[in-house]
Amino acid sequence: MPLDVAFTAKRDAFTVQVAFSAADGETVALLGPNGAGKSTAVEALAGLVPLASGYVRVDDVPIQDLPPERRPIGIAFQDGLLFPHLSALENIAFPLRSRGARAEKARAAAVDLLTELAPGVRPDARPAALSGGERQRVALARALVSKPRLLLLDEPLSAVDASARPGLRALLRRTLTTFAGPRVLVTHDALEAMTLADRIVVLEDGRVTQAGTPGQIRSAPLTSYAADLVGVNLFAGSLEPGEPGTGSMDTGEGTVIVPWPDGVPSGRIEEVLATLAPSDVALHLGRPEGSPRNVMLGEIEEIAVVGERARVRIRTSPPLVAELTAGSVERLGLSTGALVWASFKALEVRLNLRGGRT
Amino acid sequence: MRRQLPAPIAVLAAAGAVFVLLPVLALVIRAPWGSVGTAFTGVGASTALRVSLEVSVVATVISVAVGVPLAWVLARVEFPGRSLLRAIVVLPVVLPPVVGGIGLLAALGRGGVVGRWLYDVFGVQLTFTTAGAVLATTFVSMPLVILATEAGLRGLDVRYERAAAAFGGSPGYVMRRVTFPMIAPQLAAGVVLTWARALGEFGATITFAGNLAGKTQTLPLAVYQAREIDPGGAILLSLFLVGISLIVLVALRGRLAGTR
Repeated sequence: MPLDVAFTAKRDAFTVQVAFSAADGETVALLGPNGAGKSTAVEALAGLVPLASGYVRVDDVPIQDLPPERRPIGIAFQDGLLFPHLSALENIAFPLRSRGARAEKARAAAVDLLTELAPGVRPDARPAALSGGERQRVALARALVSKPRLLLLDEPLSAVDASARPGLRALLRRTLTTFAGPRVLVTHDALEAMTLADRIVVLEDGRVTQAGTPGQIRSAPLTSYAADLVGVNLFAGSLEPGEPGTGSMDTGEGTVIVPWPDGVPSGRIEEVLATLAPSDVALHLGRPEGSPRNVMLGEIEEIAVVGERARVRIRTSPPLVAELTAGSVERLGLSTGALVWASFKALEVRLNLRGGRT
Repeated sequence: MRRQLPAPIAVLAAAGAVFVLLPVLALVIRAPWGSVGTAFTGVGASTALRVSLEVSVVATVISVAVGVPLAWVLARVEFPGRSLLRAIVVLPVVLPPVVGGIGLLAALGRGGVVGRWLYDVFGVQLTFTTAGAVLATTFVSMPLVILATEAGLRGLDVRYERAAAAFGGSPGYVMRRVTFPMIAPQLAAGVVLTWARALGEFGATITFAGNLAGKTQTLPLAVYQAREIDPGGAILLSLFLVGISLIVLVALRGRLAGTR
C-alpha cells in the first residue's frame, strides 16, 4: 500500500488513535471538529510528534522512526506557516535547498511552481505582504516542490477569505488530482471533505468514529457529529417489532416508528442507527391527520435561514431538524419558542444496522 | 478636546526629565569646546580610545561566541537547575562591577583558584594585561546578549522550526536558515547593547586589570584619571561616551521597549 497508517500518538494528556490507508491518486480526508486530534495526527505523520505505538508505512516501508527531514512528505501547513524572513520564492525553494540542491536549480523549480500555482504573487514578496489565499498558494507550491511521495494538506482553506475560497478550492482540486501519490487532507469542513476527498476518516476526541466514502457517510452517518456535518437527523437506539412491516425504535429521548428491515427475523435488535433527511420532516400548526406514523409536538429551538432554505431545530422527543423553504417559515409564522407539530413517514427513515445493512 | 494633563504628574515628570538631562547639559555647557581638536590627540586619550575599541570589540565577540549558545541552551534545553543557572548567568547585570572584579581576582588572579594553576603551569598571568581587561569586560557585558537572544528564542513560534524540519532541514540547517535569521533583530539588539556596555565598563576592569595606560586603561578609566589633572579633557571624553551611548539607544529605541 502506498500509505498505510495505524498509530497512537500522545500530546500532553491527549491521545490520538488513527488508522487508515491510501492508494496512489486517492485523497483521504481526516475530518473532525476542532480539538479532535487532527493536528496531532498530522504532526505524527510528519514526524514532529513521536508515536506512542504503531506505524506509518510508505510503500510498505516503515518510516515512523525517521526524523522529519527524511520523510518523503510534502506538507501545506495550516495558516501556510511561510517563513516570514524569506521571500515567496525562497519559501518555495526551501525544501530543495535544505536537501542540498544548488541555488539555481532550486530557484528554477520554485519559479515554475510559483508561476503555475500563484501567478499573481511577486517572487520577492515577503509573506506579510500576501493575502491569506496567496500565502496558501505559496504554501502549496512549497509542499509540492520536492516532489514528495505523499501530499499532506492541513486545513488549506481555514485562513482564507470567503472571496478567495472558490478559486483556491478549484486549485486544490486540480493539485490533488494531478498529484500522483496518496494525498491526505485534514479539515473540519464537511463540504471540503465531501467535495475533495475519495474517502473520509471521521476523527472525534482522538478516535476514528467512522470511515468511508463521502456517499457512505452522507447516507449512513454513525455519530451525531457526522450526522450534523452532513445535515441529517440521526437516531440511535434499540429496535422492537411493531405493527406488521414496522418497528419501534427507542432512542432514549423518544420513540420513532421505522420500517422493519427486510429479511431480518422479528425480534429485539440493539444498537441500531437510523437517519432521516430534514427535508422529509413536515411541520404543521395543528395536529396533522393523515398517513405519517411519526407525529410529535415540540418547541422551536432555532431557525437558521440559509438563502431560500430554513433549517428548524425542534425540541421534540427525539429532537428533530426540519428543512423547509424560507417562504413556508413565513407562511406558517414560525418563530423561536413557538410550539409546532412535526411529522414524517416511517418509510422515510433509513435504518443502519451496525453490520452495515440498510 | 484633549484632556488636561494633571498638574502633579506634569510637575513630577518634568522633574524626572530635568534630573536626567541636567548632567548631560552641564557637560555640554562646561566642555572646553576650543580644545576639541586636541582632546583626542593627547597621547593618553588616543591610546585609551584604541584600548577601549580593542577591549570592547574582543569582549563583544567572545560574548556572542559563548553567550548565544548558552542562551540557546537556557531557552531550549530542559535540565534541573536551569532557573538557577539563568539567574547566575545574568547576575552581572545587577551586581556592582567591582564585585565582579573581585570575583575574577579570586578566580583568575595570580593567587586565584584557577589563576594560580594557570601561572604555575603555563606562566600565564591575566591581571594587569589587556586580556584581563577583556575578561573583566566580557564578564559584565555578556549577560546582555544572553538575555536578548534568550528572549528572542522564547518568543519564536516553534511551529516555524518544526515546519523547517518537515521540509527537509537538518537541525543545524534549521538553526542557520530559520531560527537565527528569525531572531536576528533581537540578536542584533543584544550585540549592540553588549558592545555599548563593554565600551562603558569601568569597575570590574579597574579592579581586575588595573589602570595601565596602553594596556588596560580604557576610555572610562582615562576619564576617571583625567578628572583632576585635566577636567576639560575629562568632560570632552565623557561627552564622547555619552554620544556613542545615545546613538546606540536611539538606534534601538523600538526594540528595547519590545515594539518595532
